[in-house]
Amino acid sequence: MAVEAARPLPGVLKQLRTLLEPLRKEEPLPPQTAVGFFTDTSLCIGCKACEIACKQWNQLPAREPVWAGTSYDNTRELNAINWRHVLFIERIGRHEAGDHDGGSAAETAAAPTELPFFNPDRWLMLSDVCKHCANAPCLEACPTGAIIRTEFDTVYVQQDVCNGCGYCVVACPFGVIARDALGGTARKCTLCYDRLKDGLEPACAKVCPTDSIVFGPVDQLRQQAQARLAQLHERGLREARLYGADDTILEGGLHAFFLLLDEPAVYNLPEDPSRPSRHVLPASFWTALVALALGLLGIFSFRRR
Amino acid sequence: MQPERQSFSAWLATGQALAQRLRQISRATGWMERLAVLSTGYHPDPEREQQEPTYYDYPALKEPVWRWEIVWYFFLGGLAAGCYFIASLAALFGDAEDRATRRTGYYLSSLALLPCPLLLIKDLGRPERFLNMLRMFKVRSPMSMGVWCLVSFSFFSGLSALIQAARDQWLGRWWGARWLARLPQRLLALPGMALALFLGGYTGVLLATTSIPLWSRSKMLGAVFISSAISTSSALIALVLRLSAAPVAALHKLERLEWGALLSELLALFAFLRGSGRAARALVGSGPAEYGPRFWRFVAIGGLLLPWLLQTRLLLTRRAHGEAATTGAATKQPERSRVRFSGLLLSLLVLIGGYFLRRTIIEAGHSSSRDARTTLWHARAAR
Repeated sequence: MAVEAARPLPGVLKQLRTLLEPLRKEEPLPPQTAVGFFTDTSLCIGCKACEIACKQWNQLPAREPVWAGTSYDNTRELNAINWRHVLFIERIGRHEAGDHDGGSAAETAAAPTELPFFNPDRWLMLSDVCKHCANAPCLEACPTGAIIRTEFDTVYVQQDVCNGCGYCVVACPFGVIARDALGGTARKCTLCYDRLKDGLEPACAKVCPTDSIVFGPVDQLRQQAQARLAQLHERGLREARLYGADDTILEGGLHAFFLLLDEPAVYNLPEDPSRPSRHVLPASFWTALVALALGLLGIFSFRRR
Repeated sequence: MQPERQSFSAWLATGQALAQRLRQISRATGWMERLAVLSTGYHPDPEREQQEPTYYDYPALKEPVWRWEIVWYFFLGGLAAGCYFIASLAALFGDAEDRATRRTGYYLSSLALLPCPLLLIKDLGRPERFLNMLRMFKVRSPMSMGVWCLVSFSFFSGLSALIQAARDQWLGRWWGARWLARLPQRLLALPGMALALFLGGYTGVLLATTSIPLWSRSKMLGAVFISSAISTSSALIALVLRLSAAPVAALHKLERLEWGALLSELLALFAFLRGSGRAARALVGSGPAEYGPRFWRFVAIGGLLLPWLLQTRLLLTRRAHGEAATTGAATKQPERSRVRFSGLLLSLLVLIGGYFLRRTIIEAGHSSSRDARTTLWHARAAR
């Protein structure tokens, strides 16, 4: 009798298991070396090959190009369909304004190692991309778990899980991730996750003709960036600086970091953004405090007398 | 007939002239600008701001995708939370005279909660995937916590309203209704109240946990929203009680709570503006992309300060007449409230103010995200 009764149980269990399948937590893949980009703006020539390669590889649609009315930038922003964006910053006549270091500018202009970017009249160019932050605010905000950290330590949006709540859009301090108007999901640079899986480097880094975009293991890239910075400083380009190459930005640094030739704000990059998840505790504290006060007031208002 | 019409048009013309005169005075004195500087502590300096480097003033952040659905969700969610909170207070600590408060509160709470999930689902980019929200329980993400809170609060709010309906014999006399009526409503009230306070406040914490300067610079938005949830809810319950001529004593308790909630909202809002400084310009300034006119008229003055003053006056006059009323109550029927214009106006002002608080904060958040100079300042300046 007992055996007879026990027989339907495995069937029920099996059904239950198939029902709960979406909740099953998959084993994470064995971690690989953390990889990222080092974008050296002193080498960028503004050819936009990275933008095109990215669009082609990731099959991203292109809008009708519009002139921004400012420079040769007609991409304007990183969004759901632009995962690389080349900025064109015209710093022409900046030193003629007669401010701090007119003398030193003339000095550098006459230096024997003159390169276009040593000239005070210059264009600054930067190929902007998702920073793949070590502590990514978009990942921390995501309520569905669609945004994950891959085995390559990059930040990736699972398109089949994302439901387009839009919380990552406001969490990102760099204005990178955006909700796709057509698909309704959040999209951004994947650091060519599919190519990494096959041992290839991302399309933008592959195509970059001047090696302004370098792909590689983050530790190695950080050393390379420090060496390049020292070289530029040695040649007299004191304005050169690294952005996100150490652990300061967002408490862990960026896995796609930059060598800049001016202060970050010139490139629309926030100097030291705060990490949104750090706001939860103080904001909750004040809310709880006021809720407690109102609760006491409520009890006081309603108590029997 | 003729003279009456003339007098009406004359009255209309006088009104229009008066409104125009007021507008002129408002423009000439710049009171809004002065209030903005006073509340934020930031003196705008356009010349210096123009010196700050940006990239052609292109936004440094993405614009939020949240629109009117979220405004209404914040407003209705706040009402659902506050109404449950007040009804539970009446159930746990109240007298027999507070039965109307309790009943109204529980019904209004579940009524206000009904559209909330629909609004949230409609707002998604992929509405059919709304259940994916329940894949995670993420303490660090206020949205994840909020979803779980909304799901569990719906249970308490719905069950409390059902029990109330069964006790009011709206569900008939069959065994199910009798069983429902016997369930311990007051026992449910305790965890329900905690969840209600969470639901009323988490929306502000959610906005504060972003990179938008207006929402995240000061961490006071949760305190503002929880106060507003309770002030609008007491206004809504008081409105229903006033219209249904409830006992004055029950109304008096609500008025005291509302007075306190309005005061706490005023203080929290001031702390929010002070803490935000320049980031709050999008909300309080009167420039082209700033929401000051709407904020000062409908929220700060019309929706908070004016009703608070009205409430203070009402409570003071009640206190003056209080002694006579309580001595009479012992012998006679409990005093019933009369429908008074000032009371209704007060409730309506608070409700409209609560709606516009959510709306201006969301819309000014959009504006704040487009303002590259303030965004970059926010990431540069010490927090």
